[in-house]
Amino acid sequence: MIDLSLEKLVILYVLLLLPLGLIYRYSSSILKSAAISVVRMTLQLFFIGIYLKYIFQFNSVWINLLWIIIMVVAANITITKQAGLSNRKMFLPTVLGLSLSTLLMSGVLILMVVQPTPFYDARYLIPLTGMILGNSLRSNVLALDRFYSEIRRNKETFVGYLLMGASLNEAIKPYLSQALKTALNPFIATMTTIGLVSLPGMMTGQILGGSPPFEAVKYQIAIVICIFCSMALTSVLNIFFSLNVAFNDYNMLNDEIFLES
Amino acid sequence: MPESVIRFEDVCVQVKNKSILKDITFHVNREEQCVLVGKSGSGKSTILKTLLGFYKPQKGTIYFNGRLIDQTHIHHVRQQIAYIGQEPVLGAERVKEALLLPFTFKIHRQKTPGHEKLIEILTMLCLKPEILKQQTGEISGGEKQRLVIARALLLGKTVFLCDEVTSALDPENKTLVMDQLFQKQHTVMSVSHDPEWIARCHTEFTVLDGTLIKNPHD
Repeated sequence: MIDLSLEKLVILYVLLLLPLGLIYRYSSSILKSAAISVVRMTLQLFFIGIYLKYIFQFNSVWINLLWIIIMVVAANITITKQAGLSNRKMFLPTVLGLSLSTLLMSGVLILMVVQPTPFYDARYLIPLTGMILGNSLRSNVLALDRFYSEIRRNKETFVGYLLMGASLNEAIKPYLSQALKTALNPFIATMTTIGLVSLPGMMTGQILGGSPPFEAVKYQIAIVICIFCSMALTSVLNIFFSLNVAFNDYNMLNDEIFLES
Repeated sequence: MPESVIRFEDVCVQVKNKSILKDITFHVNREEQCVLVGKSGSGKSTILKTLLGFYKPQKGTIYFNGRLIDQTHIHHVRQQIAYIGQEPVLGAERVKEALLLPFTFKIHRQKTPGHEKLIEILTMLCLKPEILKQQTGEISGGEKQRLVIARALLLGKTVFLCDEVTSALDPENKTLVMDQLFQKQHTVMSVSHDPEWIARCHTEFTVLDGTLIKNPHD
């Protein structure tokens, strides 16, 4: 692969003036957060480069496991916060769903598809788990946000279902359906156009790295399937695991789960 | 001695650390029709909602049909009571779907009424059968109220909690709704400011800053 020189990187940063300029002109309220996110992206990737260098060097099962735990915890804190939910109340039930689905789908990808030796090889384990986790994070934010905000917004209707004899699982069904649709629709749209409109990042990376296109395609199919499974699984699990905390024993939504409360 | 359907004993309810109900004690007997009156914010609606488990009492006990309302019993209580508010929840796009909505839930699935039963109940409530094909967004407030009553009757409910039901109805719809609710076999616990409604109730309580006073009633 051709090495990306510092000068080229600087030119790429200069290119950022274009979106930032457009934001400044037309949507200045997000200028600050856009600028902060660019700085964060740079620093986080810079530090991850350093961490990964040592993690790859040590290649210890325990360090890799610890790193994955850190990734899951960071992802989950972001999920609850972005979904407008209180970390204090919702962290535990949601971290359980996220961990289970990430563990399961990363396990399939590592042990069945890639099969590195040793199986915990950081060079494969960390980036592949990260891909699954990153996508699950997005679907979880959308699912949890939509699910709880819709129930809160339509409280009368939700309670109406309970008064008509619905169990909690029956009363949440329409909201669960909406939440799943919101969480999975963007990825379904991506799958529909994959290969036609865009080439996925991992596949592009493999092709640029010299792999034959068909090899790259097979791996990409495997990872898309695992990501989709994890997104669906974690969205549903997190909603079901959080019900006990989010609803009281009379099946009423507990307002304390929301951040602003 | 008449059988009490609803019984509150020293019930205190706080909402967001504010004391709303203070040591409320009363009972409503089977086939008794009672009304709670009082200023807005005095706690009238909270009494109805506490019975339905919207709020959990910090102190005191509530009984329904002689059984203590707790987490194991609340589901059963909700199945027995019809709640009708100012803006009724139909919960579906079409009237027929709205009427049959409770029968999509496991607990009522075996009792799904046929078309003839639907027509019978609609006729009883002076609603035309054509309404079944209409969108719920197209029908009037009075029709919505009557559809909620129709749904309760289809479920065989005889205990009604009514919160300012007639406040947005024209006189004709008001009479129709009241005639259906104040049937002899119905137990009604209601909140109202409407003199006609109050006159049709057997008992009247005034709610004053979260406390309850029984009024003399003709």
